[in-house]
Amino acid sequence: MNLAPAKTPTRRAFAGRMTERGETNKDFVVFESDLAKSTHSYLFKEKYPERYFNMGIAEIGTVSAAAGMAAEGRSVIVCGYGVFITMRAVEAIRSFICYPHLNVKFLSSHGGLTAAIDGVTHQSTEDIAFMTTIPQMKVLVPADTAAASAAFDIALDTPGPVFTRLMRDPMFELYDANEEFHLGGSKIVRKGKDVTIATYGDMVFQSLAAADELAKKGIDAEVIDFYSLKPWDQATLGESLKKTQALVVAENHQKRNGFGYEAAVWALQNAPVPTTLIGLEDTFAESGSYQKTLDKFGLSGAAIAEKAAATVAKKR
Amino acid sequence: MDTNTAGNYSSPARGRYSRNASNLTFDARVARLNRIANTMRQNVVDMVYTAQSGHIGGALSAADFVTALYFDLMNIDPANPHWEDRDRFVLSKGHACPIWYSALALRGYFPESELKTLRKNGSRLQGHPIATYLPGLDASTGSLGLGFAQAVGIAMEGKLLKKKDYKVFAVLGDGELDEGVIWEASLAAAKYKLDNLVAIVDMNNLQLDGTIDEVMPIEPVDAKFRAFGFEVMTMDGHDMADVLTTLTKARNARAGKPICILANTVKGKGVNFMEHQLDWHGKAPNDEQYKKACDELQACKELEGVES
Repeated sequence: MNLAPAKTPTRRAFAGRMTERGETNKDFVVFESDLAKSTHSYLFKEKYPERYFNMGIAEIGTVSAAAGMAAEGRSVIVCGYGVFITMRAVEAIRSFICYPHLNVKFLSSHGGLTAAIDGVTHQSTEDIAFMTTIPQMKVLVPADTAAASAAFDIALDTPGPVFTRLMRDPMFELYDANEEFHLGGSKIVRKGKDVTIATYGDMVFQSLAAADELAKKGIDAEVIDFYSLKPWDQATLGESLKKTQALVVAENHQKRNGFGYEAAVWALQNAPVPTTLIGLEDTFAESGSYQKTLDKFGLSGAAIAEKAAATVAKKR
Repeated sequence: MDTNTAGNYSSPARGRYSRNASNLTFDARVARLNRIANTMRQNVVDMVYTAQSGHIGGALSAADFVTALYFDLMNIDPANPHWEDRDRFVLSKGHACPIWYSALALRGYFPESELKTLRKNGSRLQGHPIATYLPGLDASTGSLGLGFAQAVGIAMEGKLLKKKDYKVFAVLGDGELDEGVIWEASLAAAKYKLDNLVAIVDMNNLQLDGTIDEVMPIEPVDAKFRAFGFEVMTMDGHDMADVLTTLTKARNARAGKPICILANTVKGKGVNFMEHQLDWHGKAPNDEQYKKACDELQACKELEGVES
């Protein structure tokens, strides 16, 4: 893996694109719950204060008021942290945004253990389970700033609710600025023939590091970035599995009810192959630096490489 | 039949009752609304009896002020349910929706015959009201607290973005005030000076598990809303003259702050054996009870005369 370190995190890129779009599109507004300096929604506020509403430290009220405004035909971008949006306000999202299919889009920062340093209260490690389970919700997880910028466009331009998981810290730059993304799409970021590593978000980089490790052992891994988790690109996974005959899903999330469950069940029904899921093993993490925390909880590139090799061994 | 004066739209939709014509005297308006409220109550009893399920007590306590809003005060057009300038109505205590459905049917948003489909598969009259199903519902509600917070968003849209003059009426239960989001939404209503928002609290003093005091003491409600930045008014929620006067005052207020009306009401009002009875929060009448309730409402109707 030879990628340039990112200068900014995906939350900044998403908010930056939101601010750019605000210049020509005056029809959407932004709701914040007192995290503007962190979500970077302040960028929008500085330019368009009349279209920006800071609703205070009150996620349920924020999300519900956004629903009311969206019921009037307005598109609303709600900014916040994954833990608070997807758990404290989950019922308002389910019953009053997803059920009536309203145009509320979520800038959800601090996804997974990218907020490792803040501790468990701020680590959003169940968000994908909650959001992908609700009917009508669409879910995106961009891996880098180009993907995050594109994710904003997809979210704004797709009718109905869209949830975008973003990262606290800068990672790496993977895609060209003009790379194209679409709802339900994926990117094969490394071609290989021996094992498919299906992943998303920051774990794309851990998976690429794993692929480097595997290459040293003579295992040629294919890494697919499922930046659109719902809907997701079943055709590309199917094609890849036909070739590799082995599946590893690596995600920065609880293993239970994460994307791995979705992909593995699909594979079981459509293309059964030896499969290994990597995620938090029904446990809470803890405070620490990002990489050390991934190491400790078995989500690092080294851990993925080890499990991928074991999965390949099961093929024979 | 009265003429609907809302907007420049033609109004093919015709309910049994329309909005009040402005040429009636105040007393005549009150008498007319009392008659309609009786029909509203009959509808509620019919619907819950037919469904053998639903919330009758809290629908009956809200009957009078909902009638005053839909049949006299609100600027709405049943032929154009999405008319931009209409007043909005949000029943935050969504479980009382039989009263809302009844108002919409009697105003002609949908056929009255549909009322008896309440809570049945395929019905647009869901157990708790879903805006995407039925014209005239300005927000989906049923999860307590979240309707009022949506009403705040609707009022923000009207006042701050569309800059329209419409009012947003939200009906809350007194038990519903236990929900923390009510107070989150109230903070925002005051911050954004939403004087287009009128919260009406149906103070029937009973919630599912007991009296307000037994379950979670909430008094003093007036002081709480005042402290949260609201203009607070009170009314006898079953004295139609008081209801009409207070709601008119609230509708015309430009106080620079949101308005809260505390409506003192009786749960189950209008059916003697249901009044003040905790048991009638979410129970359906059996055949005998249904007949008794109908007889009582019919006697009341005959006493007040039938609208021609």
